[in-house]
Amino acid sequence: MARVLLGFAILALLLFSGAAQAEGLLIIANPNLIVVTPVPLSQIAAIYLLRVTNWPDGNHIVPVNREAGSRMREEFTTRVLQQDNAELAIYWNEMHFQGKMPPLVQESEQAMIAFIRNVPGSIGYISGSAPPLDVKVLAYVP
Amino acid sequence: MLAFLALAAPSARAEDYQLGHGLDIGPLNIAGYSDLVARLPNQKQKSIDLDDLSLFVTGHFNRLFNPFVEAELTGLSFVRSGPAVDHRHRDGDFVLERLYNDSYLTDSTTLRLGKMLSAVGEWNEIHAAPLVLSAVRPAVTFRNFSEYTTGASLRYADPYSQFPDLQLYFQPTGEFSERPRNITAHQYRSVEGAHVSFPLGLLDKFGLSFQQSKDVFGVNQSLFGADVHYTLGKLTLQGETTFSDIGNNGTRTARDTEWGVYTAASYAVTDNWSLYGWYEGFADRTSSSTAHDLLFGIAYRPQPAMVFRLEYLQNIGGRPVNPTGLTASWAVLF
Repeated sequence: MARVLLGFAILALLLFSGAAQAEGLLIIANPNLIVVTPVPLSQIAAIYLLRVTNWPDGNHIVPVNREAGSRMREEFTTRVLQQDNAELAIYWNEMHFQGKMPPLVQESEQAMIAFIRNVPGSIGYISGSAPPLDVKVLAYVP
Repeated sequence: MLAFLALAAPSARAEDYQLGHGLDIGPLNIAGYSDLVARLPNQKQKSIDLDDLSLFVTGHFNRLFNPFVEAELTGLSFVRSGPAVDHRHRDGDFVLERLYNDSYLTDSTTLRLGKMLSAVGEWNEIHAAPLVLSAVRPAVTFRNFSEYTTGASLRYADPYSQFPDLQLYFQPTGEFSERPRNITAHQYRSVEGAHVSFPLGLLDKFGLSFQQSKDVFGVNQSLFGADVHYTLGKLTLQGETTFSDIGNNGTRTARDTEWGVYTAASYAVTDNWSLYGWYEGFADRTSSSTAHDLLFGIAYRPQPAMVFRLEYLQNIGGRPVNPTGLTASWAVLF
């Protein structure tokens, strides 16, 4: 009986983790942005690493991050930026001293969406696959 | 003028303040750093100094107009005791470190006009105390070249880091808002140079430098340099070296070449604590002997924007450039 229960527990864990992974990441931007979608993830990484600072229309890019330690930020850092969080913190401080602004931080998904809706040139990310209203979807990371 | 522009522009980046991120006011970001240092050299005067209190303002408006200004109060002594053999001015100096505008010509090419840091090695361009390895700065990272360029710089950085980053810079006449003689080893008139950096990772790189300059006495100098930063798990290796050929030196220098090398290692014991050390050899143009220094230190970094350091430097040969003794510091990026 115990083995059966253990089997069910492992199965449930696998299903749960699979569902969490299936949630995915939506890369979103201000709705007024004019850009061809989907935007390659390499370009999104270049934006967050501050190597691309302007949209094609000339507007300044305002990248937005979730707070340090959040699961979404971990996912984004690993899957899109493919970097280490500690190294990124050092890198962004160095870039800041050299005149390039590190990503801003929004501490909830609702705050992220509201910021992206309201601030021209902004780009951020949220969980899920269904986009909220009044944002532009740049890419989906399954 | 920047304050006016900030007030006139829509508030695009309002958020809660976070240490190290600066304060956003419209398209401007106001940030800075401080460095409080206690020096306990064995022979010279002991002191507690505010080495730097720096403010820098970054503005992002459009492709062509992206101003940056940095000014700092440097070398302000709070406490001094012991023999006054250090004749440096310690009542503090205001210094205009940088004042320039960046125009993004393409996604990868930037034209910078104004007063900027010269691209020689890695340390000079990120010299803020919270960002660098140790409180004591190796001489080779600043002493034997023009740290600043007032003029133009063309900078190439491939967005995807597939090609090396390149900087070309040129100063035609002299340093704008020149730093006083008491806080700089040499004052330069014309400067031109190049730096190429081969990215090996996010922080890791290998760089090559060249700088041609003429100082206020008309002495020509040609400098060649290399720098490296490489991470192996918890171990980080870095170093810089330069060699300068000093022409038409007359009687002002003891030798017609100048060279230096520092090589450092740091080990992250935990996320917050690290151990580090470096060796430097430095053959200054004004001295016939070559200084050899060893430094060991421990750093506590409660967060990326703040660091406490305690380190000991031992001169092991030659006329010292940095004095033997203990140094403690507290540096904050705000």
